[in-house]
Amino acid sequence: MSKSSHGIGGLTFDDKKKARAPEWNVFFALVLIVAIFEGLGAILMGQSLLFDTADRFDSIFNEARLKIIILQVSIIGIIALGATQVIILGGIDLSPGSIVGATAMIAMSFAQVAEINGMANPKLMFAGVSDLPVIVPIFIGILCGVVAGAINGALIAYTKIPPFIATLGMMVFARGVAKWWSKGQPISFPTDSYAALGKGMTPVFIFIALAILFHLILKYTVYGKHTYAIGSNEQASRMSGIKVERHKVLVYTIAGVLAALAAIVLSSKNLTAQAGMGIMYELDAIAMTVIGGVSLAGGRGSILGTVLGALIFGVIISGFTFLRLDAYYQEMVKGVIIVGAVVLDQYRQKRNAARM
Amino acid sequence: MKKTILAASVATMLTSTVSAETIGVSMALFDDNFLTVLRNGMIDMADEMDGVDIQVEDAQNDVAKQLDQINNFVASGVDAIIVNPVDTSATLAMTAAAEAAGVPLVYVNRQPINVDSLPNNQAFVASNEIESGTLETFEICKNLRAAGKGGGARAYVMMGELSNQAAVQRTKDIEDVLAMDMCNFIEVVDQQTANWSRDEAQDLMTNWLSSGEPFDAVIANNDEMAIGAIQAMKAAGIDMGAVQVGGVDATADALAAMAAGDLDVTVFQNAAGQGSGALDAALKLAAGEEVDQKVYVPFELVIPANLGNYAN
Repeated sequence: MSKSSHGIGGLTFDDKKKARAPEWNVFFALVLIVAIFEGLGAILMGQSLLFDTADRFDSIFNEARLKIIILQVSIIGIIALGATQVIILGGIDLSPGSIVGATAMIAMSFAQVAEINGMANPKLMFAGVSDLPVIVPIFIGILCGVVAGAINGALIAYTKIPPFIATLGMMVFARGVAKWWSKGQPISFPTDSYAALGKGMTPVFIFIALAILFHLILKYTVYGKHTYAIGSNEQASRMSGIKVERHKVLVYTIAGVLAALAAIVLSSKNLTAQAGMGIMYELDAIAMTVIGGVSLAGGRGSILGTVLGALIFGVIISGFTFLRLDAYYQEMVKGVIIVGAVVLDQYRQKRNAARM
Repeated sequence: MKKTILAASVATMLTSTVSAETIGVSMALFDDNFLTVLRNGMIDMADEMDGVDIQVEDAQNDVAKQLDQINNFVASGVDAIIVNPVDTSATLAMTAAAEAAGVPLVYVNRQPINVDSLPNNQAFVASNEIESGTLETFEICKNLRAAGKGGGARAYVMMGELSNQAAVQRTKDIEDVLAMDMCNFIEVVDQQTANWSRDEAQDLMTNWLSSGEPFDAVIANNDEMAIGAIQAMKAAGIDMGAVQVGGVDATADALAAMAAGDLDVTVFQNAAGQGSGALDAALKLAAGEEVDQKVYVPFELVIPANLGNYAN
């Protein structure tokens, strides 16, 4: 058993024996990776990754790079917040990437403008449906997430099919919806108010706000305690009166809504929706979660860990570009880091267990 | 190369067709924007001609279904077959089926694996991918020279999916143009993949911008990535008049970006031209005439000056 403050049902174990919180390890890994990039940068590029060595900014930091490090992981980070909860619950969700595709298409078709550059919008999906208030596409988009997530949860909770299969089905189905909605055509040219949702650093603020919200929810509410409890021991949770089925539906629905929010921000940021959007996002989200110390066995992990995992991802992507590493090697190194993080985590768990 | 073959042959066709011809067409899939334009190009051309009947089938991206359709066309005695292959490495069986029955066959848009060993009554009609990246890069090179940067300029290159043939070819085209005497003043700062994606291109461009390297151009393998780069540069407050940005595809979004003065160069692949070119070749083969075995429909450069011809 881990000695984090989140034991079964949120119980805290013997305080005197309490080990360093697992998030610290993720944080140290983040610092180590930054240090490696700084070292290589100094040797190979004569530049710093995070610091403003060329005196281009007012502060001592390279502000542009700090911003992009977090901006580029914010959207998948929103999905990872849902993945964190699903994995703590002891489940897995393969569908968010496809939910992103379907939601982006559907929401964007209600967010279009009638005219672009003084000409009729060449991509207008529904004649007459244009320039709607921004709340309409947001509401419709979130509804898509609720429906998809609730179907996932209901299939898993009530038909008892494994989460892998249920969400695999949704992954294929929702991708079909994304392609069918406009027969494969991209949907572009949203209203200014819709475009504002993903403009500049807004995706980061949305990600951080949602991360704080779910951090508090997981840590201090009954919802959070039940999620950890079911993930640690489903049978015991059921016996102690937790409505396991209902709770599973709730968690998967929340994951669906987070995927839908990611879709809205993504389509807004890019000013377009395309049927292929979000492919592989679920795997990146799961990787962030796992790097952040969330156990695929369930019952262990935290939102803070996932946010740190997302930052590690961001540092790696920016670091590779900073070093101008050939694209071929980038994926290889990324794969090694994902597996390496979990191996280290397993090792640390065993060591802690031995000390107990 | 064969720039005039289309117009000339269409003209002769219109005067020489006498008997009714039936052409069977098997498309890889119907729900693809580009292939839909190509399909309509064939249908429109057939509609305008007397005595040409075309029957179009959807292979729904299924290799086996496509071969069945070809055999069905042979069985129903069509005069020629046009195939837009689902899988370019599965064309040997199709060639064999048509050859055994003596029915002419034309491959369109996707290059069959056996393109160099096709029998005499089979042909391939498409655009030559070498042209797209070359046209794009050469135009950017000319624009940079015109802007007085002939003494030295720096460019970022955005590649499509590294496993994709078009991405590999277009990137090689860029490298080839930049190796020419006229364009070797352009230095590539860095080249990375953004997987054809606007979102990845935005992030990649922002990462590049964070290094503070000066640059004069962004050369992308497609329009989506070029638009992503533009969005990132605008967000960073860069003057788009001072940077050359090029893409390929001439999508509606790209044409809008060009009208807004952000995108400088894109390249149009003439889908309808490929469709009508394939039908033309099929009709000629059915009539027993000689046809070049590789017919290339040229890519077309789109720049602000001729934007009006494409924006519709």
